Amino acid sequence: MAPPRGEVLQGTLDLIVLKTIEALGPLHGYGIAQRIQQVSEDLLHLNQGTLYPALLRLEQRGWISSKWGSSENNRKAKYYALTRTGRKQLLAETESWERMTALMTRLLGGAEGA
Amino acid sequence: MKWLRTFTSRLIGFFRKQQIERDLDSEVQSHLDMLIAENIWRGMTPEAARHAAKREFGGVELTKEEYREQRGLPLLDGWLQDVRFAVRMLGKRPGLTFASVLTLAIGMGANTAIFTAVHSVLLHSLPFPKADRLAIVWSVLGTEGRAPASGPELETLRQRSRLFEDLGAIWAQSGALTGEGEPEQVRLGMVTANFLGILGTNPQLGRLFEKVEQGSGAPRVMIISDGLWHRRFGADRRWIGQTVRLNGQSVTIIGVMPPGFRIIFPEGSSVPPEMDAYVPFRSNLASSPADQSYLRVIGRLRDGVTIAQAQQEMDTLAGQIRAEYNTFADPPLTLQVVSLQGDVVRNIRPALLALFGGAGLVLLIACVNVANLLLARANERTLEMALRTALGAGRGRLIRQLLTESVLVSCCGAVAALSFGWFALRLVLAMQPKEMERFSAIQMNPPVFAFTFAVAIVAGVPFGLAPAFGTRKLDLTRSLKDSRQTGTKNGRRQGNLLVISEVALGFVLLIGAGLMLRTFVRLLQVNPGFDATHVLTFRVSVASAKYHTDDAAVQFFRKLKENLSQLPGVEAAGVISHLPFDDTLPNWYGFYWREGASKHEQNTAMADFRSSLPGYFKSMGVTFVSGRDFDDHDVAENLHLAVIDDTVAQEAWPRQEALGKLINIENGNFVRDTAQVIGVVKHLQYHTLTNQVRAQIYLLYPQAIRAHMAVTLKSSANAQMLLPLIRQQVAALDKDLPIYHVQPMTDYVESARRQTRFVTLLAGIMGGIALLLACTGIYAVTMYSVLQRMREIGVRTALGAAPRQLFALVLRQSMLPIALGLLAGLVLSLLLTPLLSSLLFGVRPTDIPTFGVGALILSTAGLIACLLPARRATRVDPMIALRYE
Repeated sequence: MAPPRGEVLQGTLDLIVLKTIEALGPLHGYGIAQRIQQVSEDLLHLNQGTLYPALLRLEQRGWISSKWGSSENNRKAKYYALTRTGRKQLLAETESWERMTALMTRLLGGAEGA
Repeated sequence: MKWLRTFTSRLIGFFRKQQIERDLDSEVQSHLDMLIAENIWRGMTPEAARHAAKREFGGVELTKEEYREQRGLPLLDGWLQDVRFAVRMLGKRPGLTFASVLTLAIGMGANTAIFTAVHSVLLHSLPFPKADRLAIVWSVLGTEGRAPASGPELETLRQRSRLFEDLGAIWAQSGALTGEGEPEQVRLGMVTANFLGILGTNPQLGRLFEKVEQGSGAPRVMIISDGLWHRRFGADRRWIGQTVRLNGQSVTIIGVMPPGFRIIFPEGSSVPPEMDAYVPFRSNLASSPADQSYLRVIGRLRDGVTIAQAQQEMDTLAGQIRAEYNTFADPPLTLQVVSLQGDVVRNIRPALLALFGGAGLVLLIACVNVANLLLARANERTLEMALRTALGAGRGRLIRQLLTESVLVSCCGAVAALSFGWFALRLVLAMQPKEMERFSAIQMNPPVFAFTFAVAIVAGVPFGLAPAFGTRKLDLTRSLKDSRQTGTKNGRRQGNLLVISEVALGFVLLIGAGLMLRTFVRLLQVNPGFDATHVLTFRVSVASAKYHTDDAAVQFFRKLKENLSQLPGVEAAGVISHLPFDDTLPNWYGFYWREGASKHEQNTAMADFRSSLPGYFKSMGVTFVSGRDFDDHDVAENLHLAVIDDTVAQEAWPRQEALGKLINIENGNFVRDTAQVIGVVKHLQYHTLTNQVRAQIYLLYPQAIRAHMAVTLKSSANAQMLLPLIRQQVAALDKDLPIYHVQPMTDYVESARRQTRFVTLLAGIMGGIALLLACTGIYAVTMYSVLQRMREIGVRTALGAAPRQLFALVLRQSMLPIALGLLAGLVLSLLLTPLLSSLLFGVRPTDIPTFGVGALILSTAGLIACLLPARRATRVDPMIALRYE
């Protein structure tokens, strides 16, 4: 039986996208979608289309910037890159995410222990 | 700041919609292409690859929609959609839209025009730097509440006041400019050297007066107005530093005031706004006699000092002056500080506020009318609303749509109102009373535009909401099933409510207009004590050195009067120092008492001292109670004689004959003198038509020499024909003397009625508009209800109701709300009209005839408005009505 596929947690998509762009450098929407699915080893179910509103949101906040370019196969595509504020934001959000997960782990672990 | 960035980006998105749409399309397409390419590479058929790609991507259109919502400004987008829809809806019923816009334009236009005046006169500060710091100091002496100050008073205040930065004064005079060109009489402001500096306006050329230029022996200097500079000196800068001849003396021009500069002093202060030139006082004010009061005092308060604080200080100083000068001990002098702004508008404020209130009522009626139109339409649109609700539009969405429509209508109304208001403002300005003329710039400006649009939006919301609440109890299934339009009880109640409020508001306006009309009629009936018809007046001044001896002046006026009486058609000629209702020269007045009065009786009553030559009373048609006018013999003998009015006679010798008695008066040089009473005339209304400000005592000119005199000519001849002859006669005596202020006496009387005429006319126009609007409203409501009840009327006819019965039924049902509206209007008027009392004369705010006539007019008009719909009801064909739809 296949492992259960998780939905993207509310609010985490932004962080995932930022991290992906940081890891791979300027990237188009398709690339981001592929990368997320690859890393999550298909555990995460992602409607690829939902990426675009997220990308727009991040761009409106000034965390990423976009530019038209051509892909490896000479296909026209829009490339997204991390901005300086975006890098700072990623750092801050990663930190807060880690604090949160640590807390959750401790809480859940503690419950198990009792 | 994050939201700002997001907002900016969204705003850009909003405007670059199409390009972004294209971008999104190609971006999504390229994503899909990549997916398909990969799928094919994995070995799928192209067809299967495309399907798989779409699945993986998720809903393409859904994504785009989500994207769009985030991209632009969905609120604005939705709103624009509303506006587009509203424009379409309004365009579908052009007649109704036009009627609504027109009604609102009338209502708001009236408001715009009146607000423009209110804004420029009451709200806008006077055109002086930091005008709120300027205050007038009036002397209060006995019954005289707004008297000028004397030199020593002013000097004491200047030296001892800590709360005023500085105090100065002006005295309006008149002077003759001679030399090159025609002699010209100019309005001359005699001022303290600091006066113009206190107002704070700098000359456009040259400089202000310096301290050393005031007082006896100081160099003669003059600052001129921009008008005089252009008129007489060709706007030539080289005139600065040049000398001209003023009243026969060489005077150096040292400055030119900027264009539009005017002295804004309160009405009745004898300081006209337009001065041609300013010269400093040439007497030593501190050592001038304490009982010669002629200075109109103005001061600039230090920052942060309130009028109340300044008043306290002036109270203290008045105490010191009373102690130091005998003159001011009895009656005791007090000082009153008032802000210049407040004092200047004190007469016009109640009138403007009343008109503003009236315009507000007109607007309310207009709004009720439009609400009625929109309500009727909302009922027609019940089906549409039900359909939209069924398709999922929320209640809020529907209200938003209705509001958009109503605000759109009212904004169109506002645009029309601005042009309408522009014309209305021309009308206001054409009739403006003297008080308003002091304010040079009454014009529409950005605050006025803002006001009109604010009114439009505020007005648009309630009448947009009214239909929204009218459709509140929307029963979906019923409305959709029963699309036939039937008169609902709910709709009729709303209609009645509208009629009641329109009639009530209209009644208040009619009563206001009626009361003003009654006042105006009363004013026309006032007998001012003289007959102004066919009296031509003009002024001549003998201020130049040529007339330094009193005798020269007396001889000049005697001969002039004699020669003028010989002119064809002239029945009588007179010479007088002051014309009734003329406020351009200082008024001479002071205490008088019967000779032999005890000390404490002496300074109790004041009178205007007029100086005249024989003939004045005859030319003005003044009635003698007893005694006679002066005659040539009196003049030749230079006798100490006086003619008094009946008020003085009554005051000084109650129940006694005044003729032959001696009276103590003040002559032309502020010197006390005794004169014998030779005549008693009826009191003349010299200041206002409505109340007696002061009594008058007439002195013989040789005894009371004045430089500025007016000539009155009673003549059946045409003024145009007479004028060249008059000029000829004056020139024959002295070619350097200009005549000025040529005006028929009726103009002066007219000017005294101007404020009331202004308010009456505007109130009348508003009352007329209100009546018209109310009638249209009543007609529309009644007609609409008849049309809605076609089926019911048809059934009644089918069951045998006679046309007469139907006619009566409609009338009865429509007259009931009108009667209720009258009742409400009556209550409202009784509450509101007392606010008008300061504008009324000879009529009480609760004047029963006015109320009766108002009710009669309104109910008749209402009845007429109902007649047509009632007739319509009698012509309903039952067959057609029952098959209607």
